[in-house]
Amino acid sequence: MANQLMQKLKTELPMSINRRKFINQTAIAGAALLASTLVTKEAHAEAANNRLTILHTNDVHSRLEPFPMDGGRNQGMGGVAARAALIASIRKETEHVLLLDAGDIFQGTPYFNMYQGEPEMKAMTMMGYDAATMGNHDFDGGIENFATQLQHASFPILICNYDFSNTPLENKTAPYKIFQKGKIKIGILGLGIELEGLVPQNLYGKTIYQDPILAANKTADILKKQGCDLIICLSHLGDKYDDGKISDEILAKETENIDLILGGHTHRFFEIPRKYTNKKQNEVLVNQVGWAGIQLGRIDYDFSLYSAGKRVASKSILIRNK
Amino acid sequence: MPQTAVVEYKDYQITKEAPVDSSFIRFLAPYGSVLKSSMGKVIGFSTEGLSLKQPESTIGNFMADAMKQQAEKHFNQKVDAAFVNYGGVRSNISKGKLTVGMIFELMPFDNLIVLQKLSGKVLMQLLDKIAVDVNGGWPMAGITMEIKDKKATHVLVNGQALNTTNIYIVANSDYVANGGNDCAMLKGIAQMNKGILLRDALIEYVSWLTANGKSIDAKIENRTTNVN
Repeated sequence: MANQLMQKLKTELPMSINRRKFINQTAIAGAALLASTLVTKEAHAEAANNRLTILHTNDVHSRLEPFPMDGGRNQGMGGVAARAALIASIRKETEHVLLLDAGDIFQGTPYFNMYQGEPEMKAMTMMGYDAATMGNHDFDGGIENFATQLQHASFPILICNYDFSNTPLENKTAPYKIFQKGKIKIGILGLGIELEGLVPQNLYGKTIYQDPILAANKTADILKKQGCDLIICLSHLGDKYDDGKISDEILAKETENIDLILGGHTHRFFEIPRKYTNKKQNEVLVNQVGWAGIQLGRIDYDFSLYSAGKRVASKSILIRNK
Repeated sequence: MPQTAVVEYKDYQITKEAPVDSSFIRFLAPYGSVLKSSMGKVIGFSTEGLSLKQPESTIGNFMADAMKQQAEKHFNQKVDAAFVNYGGVRSNISKGKLTVGMIFELMPFDNLIVLQKLSGKVLMQLLDKIAVDVNGGWPMAGITMEIKDKKATHVLVNGQALNTTNIYIVANSDYVANGGNDCAMLKGIAQMNKGILLRDALIEYVSWLTANGKSIDAKIENRTTNVN
């Protein structure tokens, strides 16, 4: 049975994912054993309030159901019912969770052609998403449609470099939002990609795209001044490009106060979050989890090392397998 | 403040063995049952399956051939070349039954087929853009070319060397013809448009192949080759 399962995994997933999965599972079992024997109740409560679990998706592209069982590479993978069950199980084991999406919620299955994004927004609301940013395909039903579908979303759309003045989205999005989780104050901002040449103009209307680095630095500065311990950017810029086009890589290097960039657009399955050094010589993490809800990314920060009011910003970041 | 932050990360794979939350299955059911009735119709069969890659692919050749044939039919004129932007091909087709829903996943966008009269010079600019888009190479019909040093070379249109002063009738999606996918060279050039959705054209082409006893398959024909 186990053999069959391994065989199946081997045929469906790249080798590296298999191996990492195995290592991860072994590490979790070991860590759980240690935790249950060594840590007292009080220390547990203190530790919980200093611990933040970030869960994230990007480019889900209307994949509400798993991929069909048609012999394709991704058959049976993804789907909101399995993602919701996984998120619920993580929420049971850890108290402070932020659930985030980096855009391209819409387009890719007939659900979107038929229902224009209503079930996508409702499913994300049911899962308890805390925030999302907009991807280029979120304009595919037109900017009016996105504004209409927001009635089904109880989470905010964060974007700080699109000027939506005189559009149906005016005052319906926010540049950032601040969350308090236990003892940790988190600022989240969002960034969208250049629309001209990518999205038909009749779909994005009078939206004005603004320089992402200027907008990100300005917004992150506000969040820092408000005392955020961790600043997260949801980005639909794409991880990196050969031709020097603005990307998460450039963003990470050219900004000052962002600690973590959760990206999208390029549908890249990162092996491990990438590390870059920013303008202040602090390290920044960038992560992306492919597309279609095949993966859910998880990044845990432990703030117990920091006294209250200290930011996480560090010269270096050590990444461990959870 | 410590100089080193410690984070733990994990990527969860949502596999087909993963437990599900049944309330989400119930939530989706009413939407899904409506979709199944309209999207489940079988319109063809693929023996080999079709998949996407650059510079040339089986699914790309299938889509570009469909676009050229359908453009010639609906516009009732000869078309020299048809293109589908690489990023616009949104899924593969597995071997076996082909449903309407699978065509929606392949071409989810409401893009229209349009024709433009392009000078050989502008067509060459488009081909040079195609040569560097992502890793180089788009689905195309009616043209063969080589990609060398990130440029299009040895371009043949209908088997004849491209002449920069000739006028060619070229089919594209309205998205590309309007300058999308960074094709600014096409923007502003007059378009012939009969309101034909590329997706509907694909469904019609598949149904036509099926009615003629053909499977939905394609071969690599060296329409585009890398020579570096």
